[in-house]
Amino acid sequence: MAEIELKTAPADFRFPTTNQTRHCFTRYIEFHRCTAAKGEGSSDCDKFARYYRSLCPGEWIEKWNEQRENGTFPGPL
Amino acid sequence: MIESQRHSYHLVDPSPWPISGSLGALATTVGGVMYMHSFQGGATLLSLGLIFILYTMFVWWRDVLRESTLEGHHTKVVQLGPRYGFILFIVSEVMFFFAFFRASSHSSLAPTVEIGGIWPPKGIGVLDPWEIPFLNTLIPPSSGAAVTWAHHAILAGKEKRAVYALVATVLLALVFTGFQGMEYYQAPSTISDSIYGSTFFLATGFHGFHVIIGTLFLIICGIRQYLGHLTKEHHVGFEAAAWYWHFVDVVRLFPFVSIYWWGGI
Repeated sequence: MAEIELKTAPADFRFPTTNQTRHCFTRYIEFHRCTAAKGEGSSDCDKFARYYRSLCPGEWIEKWNEQRENGTFPGPL
Repeated sequence: MIESQRHSYHLVDPSPWPISGSLGALATTVGGVMYMHSFQGGATLLSLGLIFILYTMFVWWRDVLRESTLEGHHTKVVQLGPRYGFILFIVSEVMFFFAFFRASSHSSLAPTVEIGGIWPPKGIGVLDPWEIPFLNTLIPPSSGAAVTWAHHAILAGKEKRAVYALVATVLLALVFTGFQGMEYYQAPSTISDSIYGSTFFLATGFHGFHVIIGTLFLIICGIRQYLGHLTKEHHVGFEAAAWYWHFVDVVRLFPFVSIYWWGGI
């Protein structure tokens, strides 16, 4: 069997608490800011994508994506 | 009569005002709940209750003035009751405001992800703190200075000057209220605009309500001074109004710094 590498987003000193909501939200925003700055599909943004997909519940990501499409996303993109 | 009692305390005559105030409070609370749940007659009961409470305040305090100024029951030791009582009331009001400012800080210092983790939330129109809010932060202390002027005039026995000083105090207060009303009318956001609107309007709204009450209190003091009720040794009612007024004007500083200035950046 091949070794499967399992890892998640690294511990971020900006978010030392057990509740990592803000960490997830910040990574989501960072990914979208990176994409806005460097263009869609840029590989620099991949690591942010992996971070937020690990940290954030699927329902939140879907909700935020929908809000972004409607123009009602409240965060500072 | 007071000459025949062998103590310097005031044993009050039986009065209907406590029960009438209680009934008014009952009508207000029940009517309020009925109104908020859209029961028929709720609004009527609520308004009746409020009117009844206001009436009770008027007649009760009129009786206090009759017993003190006109009948002379308020000896030095009796005066301590209202003095300490009013100070404690002001302390309770401080706690009341503390709650609203804490609510504001709770929401603004660590804004939740639901509002985007930023403050003020996206799309909220914020007022420029250096326009009317700043002016309205300078007016209360000036009014406080005027009330201190009035106090010194009373202590010096300069009765007419005291009336003029109280008129100045009240005029400044009315100007403040006018500007605040205008600002509310023109404000770009409302109380239902996210937690920002809720905290902003509750904190500033209750402050404005207290300004109006303080203004009324000062107007009554002005009338009493004009009628000659206040002497240089005995003017507990005026002192209470002046303390309340200083409390209201100090409270104004907190929303200016934390809500208008910091909260809008």
